[in-house]
Amino acid sequence: MGSNQMLRRRTVWLLIVILAVGFGAVITRLAFLQLVQGEELQRRAIEQQLADTPISAKRGTIYDTKGKILAQSASVWRVVMAPAYFDDGADGDEQRAFVASRLAEILGLDEAELLEDTKQNTYYVSVKRKVESVEKEQIIELQKELSEKYQKSGLISLLDDYKRYYPYSDLASSVIGFTGSEDQGLSGVEYQYNDFLSGTPGRIISAQNGIQTEMPFDYNQNIGAIDGSSLVLTIDETVQSIVEKYMKQGIIDNQVLERAVCIVMDVNTGEILAMASVNGVDLNDPYTILPEQQKDIDAIDTDYLIKNKYIEEGVDPYTMDEKQKTALIEKAKAEAESAALARNWRNKAISDTYYPGSVFKMVTLSMALQEGVVNKESRFGCSGAYQLYEDTIHCHNTAGHGTQTYQECLWNSCNPGFIQIGQLVGKEKFWDYYQAFGFSDKTGIDLPGESDDQFFIHDGVEGNMLDTDLAVASFGQNFSITPIQMITAASAVANGGKIVTPHVVKQIVDAEGNVVKNLSTETKRQVISESVSKEMCGILEENALNGSGKNGYVAGYRVGGKTGTSEKKVDANKNGIEDDYIASFCGFAPANNPQYAALVFFDEPVSGNYYGSAVAAPVFASIMSEVLPYLEVVAQYSDEELSNIDTAAGSYTGMSVEDATKAAEGDGFSVTVKGEGTTVLTQNPVTGTAIPTGGTIVLYTDDSSAAEKVQVPNLVGLSLAEVNDTASYTGLNVSVTGTATSSDSTSVAQSVPEGTEVAPGTVITVTFSSGGIAD
Amino acid sequence: MLTIENTSRRRVRDYERERHASSKRGKRKINFSLLNIGKGLDIPFVLLIFVLLAIGITMMFSASYPVAFYEIGDSYYYLKRQLIFALIGLVVMLVVSFVDYHYYHRFAAIILGVSYFALMLVLVLPSQEGGVHRWIGVGMFGIQASEISKFAIILFMAHWGSRYYDRMHTIKYGVLPGAAVFLSTALLLLFEPHYSCIVIIAILTVVMMYVSGIKIKWLAIGAAVLAVIILLLWVTGMLTYAMERMDGWGQALNEDLDRDMWNSTWQTRNSLYAIGSGGLFGLGLGQSRQKYLYLPEPQNDFIFAIVCEELGLVGAVLILLIFALLVWRGVIISLRARDRFGKLLGIGLISHIGLQVVLNILVITDWLPNTGISLPFFSYGGSSLLTLMFEMGVILSVSRTSNIEKS
Repeated sequence: MGSNQMLRRRTVWLLIVILAVGFGAVITRLAFLQLVQGEELQRRAIEQQLADTPISAKRGTIYDTKGKILAQSASVWRVVMAPAYFDDGADGDEQRAFVASRLAEILGLDEAELLEDTKQNTYYVSVKRKVESVEKEQIIELQKELSEKYQKSGLISLLDDYKRYYPYSDLASSVIGFTGSEDQGLSGVEYQYNDFLSGTPGRIISAQNGIQTEMPFDYNQNIGAIDGSSLVLTIDETVQSIVEKYMKQGIIDNQVLERAVCIVMDVNTGEILAMASVNGVDLNDPYTILPEQQKDIDAIDTDYLIKNKYIEEGVDPYTMDEKQKTALIEKAKAEAESAALARNWRNKAISDTYYPGSVFKMVTLSMALQEGVVNKESRFGCSGAYQLYEDTIHCHNTAGHGTQTYQECLWNSCNPGFIQIGQLVGKEKFWDYYQAFGFSDKTGIDLPGESDDQFFIHDGVEGNMLDTDLAVASFGQNFSITPIQMITAASAVANGGKIVTPHVVKQIVDAEGNVVKNLSTETKRQVISESVSKEMCGILEENALNGSGKNGYVAGYRVGGKTGTSEKKVDANKNGIEDDYIASFCGFAPANNPQYAALVFFDEPVSGNYYGSAVAAPVFASIMSEVLPYLEVVAQYSDEELSNIDTAAGSYTGMSVEDATKAAEGDGFSVTVKGEGTTVLTQNPVTGTAIPTGGTIVLYTDDSSAAEKVQVPNLVGLSLAEVNDTASYTGLNVSVTGTATSSDSTSVAQSVPEGTEVAPGTVITVTFSSGGIAD
Repeated sequence: MLTIENTSRRRVRDYERERHASSKRGKRKINFSLLNIGKGLDIPFVLLIFVLLAIGITMMFSASYPVAFYEIGDSYYYLKRQLIFALIGLVVMLVVSFVDYHYYHRFAAIILGVSYFALMLVLVLPSQEGGVHRWIGVGMFGIQASEISKFAIILFMAHWGSRYYDRMHTIKYGVLPGAAVFLSTALLLLFEPHYSCIVIIAILTVVMMYVSGIKIKWLAIGAAVLAVIILLLWVTGMLTYAMERMDGWGQALNEDLDRDMWNSTWQTRNSLYAIGSGGLFGLGLGQSRQKYLYLPEPQNDFIFAIVCEELGLVGAVLILLIFALLVWRGVIISLRARDRFGKLLGIGLISHIGLQVVLNILVITDWLPNTGISLPFFSYGGSSLLTLMFEMGVILSVSRTSNIEKS
């Protein structure tokens, strides 16, 4: 082959290699990068090319069921800095120092940290959020100073921000919850519904170059913030306020150590009208503990250290190094403070478990009736104690209740009686019903922090009970449930046997007012039949009228309920004896058509009286007597009750005696006319005063008779009839509160002391109580 | 060195003889008419050069103006300079095309000597950024010593291959001179260091030897020797610097790089971002975002990344097709040159262009380590543009002797 042909041939090969292999590879590679990987590469490029400034979204409002505002966000400001705008060199250093010191002064921040922030070569540093208008004005001043002094604008800016306000401060604090520094919900519905409430923050996106200053041309995109949705709770502010008023009073009256709980629930829908864990926390200031808690913490001393084992063994606390001791005291104080905060924040109604005690008897009896293991002929004996193998289980009535029907067992709250009923149900059925009543699962309430129950476990199998377990379980001891589980089960007993899911949010409404979601009633299952439920309502109503629950009675509202006194089996108050109790009452109304249930629960009352009947039931009655009329539950008074109903006195002054008498009698009062005149000048009681039906109105026709006085007699220690007799004899009116219709009711207090001189017709409030119930 | 001096003397003698013979026979008269197609310049080749230069300068301006604006304060800074060099380059190209390339026979050894001198000179001159010794002169008037070397080697190999075309199958004439020139140049480049240039010179030497007609077995043996050497360097750990340079190679898109690696892969990563952002049709001329201080020195080696971002795959492939046409046309010109020297010189120079294009794009797409290979007609740089235009002029000079239209 000639050398020229070889050259030609080899050149052609070379050309092929350069074009096909070289250019081919290059084009393939480019196609891969631009078409296959293009999207991802472009995304990453855009990520670095765009400066992103967030715009806060306004957090949604929380309303109560009537539309009252429970939590609301108000406009405040966020201070941001663009340190990339600082000059270089010594000028820049001076500017940075100036800005850092002024910002530290205005916003109360650490100057050294701010100085570090000013050295970043970025565009957006969040300096402080939730700045109020006073500071905002000062920041505007600073902006002016900067533009005058250094011709710098845009170094410091103010962006919209929002701050959360809670108009009712500590009301329903454990339900509403509060938010953190970044406006995120930390507890309660603020946490549970954070995704709905928080909305979507907007952004200002602007193009930036490689050194993060803005591009010389416009590329700005505003994506507006979408404000959060609002919540309408099932909580009713009025009901909640009534509940908290009485619960706080109950805590004081009974010297309750470990807070108290009250839940009011619609038995048919599961809506929670009120849920109080008292004491709560001021939601506007959730990191501040109560003054009395602070006092306890301030009082921490060496003795506290010894008692709480802060001092190591073998160290003499009285000769130890002072510095060390101070450090230990500081540590103890810090720990005590965070414990106090955690306690105040804790939603006891769903997070704490307790032995339900005798309240649980309504569940045990429901099981027995549903299973048909008790009937009219069943009799249960009680000798004051029950012997089970080596254990002796005492009844609160040590003298014994004798032979009882199953109804009487409940009315007497008789433990031996219920042991026998429980035995008739049997361990397996008991466990089945325990699960069916929802105690083994969380109720699913839409609040964070719901606890699990603790039931008997043997050989690793939950629900595997021993005979003694069944015995004590039948009256609610030695297993723990949450208050919300108890009221959910009690609602099922009352509402015809349906387990409903309790909930606190009724509706979610977006920022434009469109309904996002309606949370309706969710029925999980039927646990007992309607007829059993109806019978239980009757038994429990009778119990509130004449049985162990009669201190929970509310006139006219056909309340049914059950008391409970449970042993905590712990020595929580650290007095060396495991004698701490929980006093509770769970009831509903009206018994013929149950609508609302309430559970009242005091943890460790130590005033000496710890029975549910004495501590919780009266509070339940007080709450229900205000709540039920407010909720427009129709009152159904018996004849006896009707005679005790108060009526507001009308206005009779300025009328002729004849007309006034006719009007007052028409209102249901008896009339006494004093004086010689023809026109009524004044009246006692004055217009609007509540007087029992049939009470006396005194009408004065001249001045002289108005001076006439009567002496208040003793009205304590008498029966209702005796009080009424004494009052009408003296010419006074009596307003009755408490358990007055029970056969063993006696008056325990009168609002005006004996011997006081008052005008005839004055209303004296007399409180009745029913004694002799020890549960 | 001795060999080279000997050949130099002989080469001059041969050249005189050849020139004398051609004029005597009147066959090899070269027509220098500018407008006479087929006897003058190869018009398609000139057109391709104009097209590439026009696109190249446009894209260089688009890529460079943000950098020029931010760093120099004059958006037109690079454009103005590149335009001046392009005009000078066109004049150089035209002038060189009038020069009878046979004239270079005489200078092959001298230029090779200049190349060695330049390579040694840079080593004693102050180093540039990154501690490398590559440039002679400063700023606008600087030139990379390796630019001279590449031309010198192509010229020498063409000279040698045409002179001893009948002895190229022997080891003495076919292999040893090329190997000696390459190894000595590569040794000097190692001190700069300038590895990418060693690679280019190696490929060019092999291309020239191959086309000149050495036996394939020597190339095979050379490849085997190269493999052994690389293995030895690997084992002895002498590849450290190169390995450090290559550490970030292929890692550019890895998100979990430590800070040093992040910085060393910054340019490649942003090049990939730019290429990927282009997609099929690109963001539009002038619409690159990566040139805003993300991609460092977008006017230099990485300019094609901005081209890809603005013009997309379609634009990039079109430009590559123009390059391919240029190479193809260059090869046609070379093959139809009247003599072997012209053929070899043309093939060497046009291969150099093709090689630069391919290697440059492999670098910006992270298939080769980032080592500094510019893109002909596109990358900013006065001396490299002038060198390029000079080489185009030489190819055009060859085209004047080719008998394209006659065949």
